[in-house]
Amino acid sequence: MQRRAFLLSTAALSGGLGGVSCAEGDAPAGRLVVPFWFTYGGRNRATLTTLVARFNRSQSDVWVRAVFQGDYFEGLAKLRTALAAGAAPPLSHVVGEVVPYLAEAGVLEPLDHYPGARALPLHPALGQAGSFRGGAERPLVVVPFNRSTPIAYVNQRLFEAQAGVPDTWQGLREVARALTRPGRFGFGCPIDWWYWAALVGQAGGEVVEPDGRVSLGNQAGVRALALWQSLVGEGSMKQPPGRDYNAWEQLSQDFLAGRVAMIWSSTAFVRYLEETADFPVRALPLPRDEQAAVPTGGTHFVLLKSAPAELKQAAWRFVRFLLEPESAAFWSSETGYLPVTTGAAAGLQTSGFYARHPNHKVALDQLSVAQPWPWSKNLFRIQREVVQPRLEAAVLEKLDPASALRDARRLAGESQL
Amino acid sequence: MTGERNVRRLALASALAAALLWLFPYAWMLLTSLKTPQELLKAPTALPGAFRLSAYVEVFQSLPVARYVALTTVMALTIAALQIAIALPAAYALAKLDFRWRAAAFAFLLSALLIPAELRFVPTFTLFSALGLVNTLPALVLPFAVSAFGIFLLRQALLVIPDSLIEAARLDGASELYIVYRLLPPILAPALAAFFLVSFVHHWNDYFWPLVMTVDDRVRTLPLGIALLREQGSGVRWHIIMAGSTLLSLPALGLFAFTQKYLLRGLGSGVG
Amino acid sequence: MKPSRPSQPFWLLSPMLVALGVFFVYPLLSALRTSFYEWDLLTPARFIGLANYRAISSSGELLSSLCTTLLVSSIVVAGSLLLGLGLALAVHRPGRLAALARSAVFSAYVVSWVSVGLLFLWIFDADAGVVNQLLGSIGIAKVKWLTSTAVAPITVALIVLWKVTGYAMVVFLSGLSGLPPEMHEAAALDGAGPWARLRHVTLPLLRPTAAFVATTSLIASFQLFDVVRLLTQGGPVRSTTVLVYAIYEQLFRDLRVGRASALVVVFFVVLSALTWLKLRAFREEEPA
Repeated sequence: MQRRAFLLSTAALSGGLGGVSCAEGDAPAGRLVVPFWFTYGGRNRATLTTLVARFNRSQSDVWVRAVFQGDYFEGLAKLRTALAAGAAPPLSHVVGEVVPYLAEAGVLEPLDHYPGARALPLHPALGQAGSFRGGAERPLVVVPFNRSTPIAYVNQRLFEAQAGVPDTWQGLREVARALTRPGRFGFGCPIDWWYWAALVGQAGGEVVEPDGRVSLGNQAGVRALALWQSLVGEGSMKQPPGRDYNAWEQLSQDFLAGRVAMIWSSTAFVRYLEETADFPVRALPLPRDEQAAVPTGGTHFVLLKSAPAELKQAAWRFVRFLLEPESAAFWSSETGYLPVTTGAAAGLQTSGFYARHPNHKVALDQLSVAQPWPWSKNLFRIQREVVQPRLEAAVLEKLDPASALRDARRLAGESQL
Repeated sequence: MTGERNVRRLALASALAAALLWLFPYAWMLLTSLKTPQELLKAPTALPGAFRLSAYVEVFQSLPVARYVALTTVMALTIAALQIAIALPAAYALAKLDFRWRAAAFAFLLSALLIPAELRFVPTFTLFSALGLVNTLPALVLPFAVSAFGIFLLRQALLVIPDSLIEAARLDGASELYIVYRLLPPILAPALAAFFLVSFVHHWNDYFWPLVMTVDDRVRTLPLGIALLREQGSGVRWHIIMAGSTLLSLPALGLFAFTQKYLLRGLGSGVG
Repeated sequence: MKPSRPSQPFWLLSPMLVALGVFFVYPLLSALRTSFYEWDLLTPARFIGLANYRAISSSGELLSSLCTTLLVSSIVVAGSLLLGLGLALAVHRPGRLAALARSAVFSAYVVSWVSVGLLFLWIFDADAGVVNQLLGSIGIAKVKWLTSTAVAPITVALIVLWKVTGYAMVVFLSGLSGLPPEMHEAAALDGAGPWARLRHVTLPLLRPTAAFVATTSLIASFQLFDVVRLLTQGGPVRSTTVLVYAIYEQLFRDLRVGRASALVVVFFVVLSALTWLKLRAFREEEPA
């Protein structure tokens, strides 16, 4: 019995291994297979799959194999561990906050000498130069992929009676109050680093000072947190439950179900929300306080140094394809992410797309007040380990914002970041 | 004797309550998988309007289910086979042979129970990275080569086998290997079967180890694949997640249904 | 008389010993060593002495994950003992209903944590989940099963209990089957009712079985990961971050191999201590 089991399993093993290696078998023979790890689902995933198929059809020597890895953080964890284990793909995409860390760890392929890299007609706020303070002086390591800014979405039907658009913090407070009813919140926002950074910028602060000191916005940081706390305390703001993107998703569902009248979310959901809602959806830029400011979000393409040269070259061809005006415009119009090249943006303008879909243009216009991230290799740790948990706790448990942030600053300073 | 009758009524009522409490979630999972997204939004607790398998179709379309199933099965089979191959001689030595360090070996084995996979993964991961084995089948199989539970089970079963049987075989010229791998297995069949089933099901269902030992979908197991259904973007699609969940449960439940008797008996033999 | 063959046991045991050495001893020793370093897997490691241990205790992370683990664990151990025994007593009889109950309860043990996790994520969904919908229909406010810091760990513990009670029940069932019937008959003849028989005959005899169940439930509850990962990702605000999840986060979210190793070392010490205490407590009361 034992021997039979052994023989059986050996047979199954060899068959299984054969089957497993045939996974690349969806690629036609003779093509160079380029694994591309990507990390988001739903409509964005479908759009990406379409573009990958287009690329694969458009030429006959490269086959891009797109592998789904979960959400941004899941995927990032897998990428980093794969890098450590020597099993990383040639191409993936990562959030802006982690780019300095990866670059300084030496795992990103420098792109300056890749064909056409320096001459890409990128929107100034979205390329490496515009996304990071001092990004232009450093070797080029990232190229924008799906880029976004936070925007506000309002349920137009509920908004009808409301006069005036909230364009200041005070306006936001009033609108939220006015739209709140029993069973419905006027405003909802994920208690998330990204939106907090937006508020800090609007209050005139910087998360990391130009000299590298982690100030977390000082007074501006405190005011940002206090704004949320007061809105939640008044009962006019919903704090969506769930960790990370679960909270964003939950908030979208609440918005669609009419339980929240106005939300802050990413421009990445504009298409999804427009199509799923049974009410007209209107997108608005974020309000200002001392100034108008938004951070950029989404991800950048990275090529991993550890991959063989020919795979990297092939991956770069795919990146160039996605940055062609047609592909970039398609990507932007299908999802809601920003058109990353000037050509794509112009194309969407001239084709009348923006005239038909004004909501898609809100984020693009908002880029004029986009703020770069600091080039700090600790930025990601600050976000994930230091600030994000404290934001959640501060709002949920009504902690004193000044001491919560002071605590965070101390932690950021003393840990061996 | 009303005391007895009341007790029996209470027992039956408890049994009924337990059956409902434990069967209801499965029923709910199945029912949800048959609904449409609109039904889920509007009337989450109503029965589905029609018997619709579209959620299952979508699961098969978004994941290579067959490939995941094949890989998971191969992995679990290999682990079980390897565990049995190592457990048989070890249990035999611990049960039937007399040697100075037997107690120490047994204690060593016992302490292994205190070091679950979740404690071992960090160094094992770095070891496998150095060897280039991360994201391969050996990384999923080798760390489980020894099953302390299995060795205990087999040892218990071996203790009741009369020594004379083994003596007789030795007198006939049988080697120790012959005794371990040819003579004893048929006699140990119930315990071996229970061991095999428990191990197979446990590793087939394993989520943690494949999660930390794999980085992409080349050796992705079914539990990982189904869990990824949840991480889709815009809109949580419960009917699809429940369809995936149902699919994931079916093999284990099916196997359980067929082998209930052996499993419960074999487990009982090693316990208490 | 058994022929003693000094070399044979070694060869028979060597695969087991090698595997234990490589996959159990080495990881533990390696974790101990790494816990004194700072390492992010991508850049060279840096020796920092006890700094990791200081960091995990001063940040409160160690204490909070220990407490969360102990909270969940105590519910699971106590629950599995009570429910496991109770159900075993209820279904230790012939009949189809008992057989159905036995299968139903044990089947939860057999399916994957992923299935169970996703299933209860849906059942306990705050808005559309069936539990809150049913509560709403009888006028009770919706409970934040998984999104309240106070309730979430209890919900997790209950879900774990749902899954593992079957194993406890089966163990108790085999324990009950092993009880000599004469003692019950004698007690009944002496006029003892069913509850008295339970208290004075059954329970004392089941002590070793209960010890076994308690120990395995303890070890299992300390190993919880899948359910936390799927349902709450350790939240809200770390209220469900059990030890294993904390280790996972240190490694995969924060890339701090040193701190993850420090947590591993502490975890091992705590688990060994608890197991040893438990075994000692039960062994003292064990009937000969």
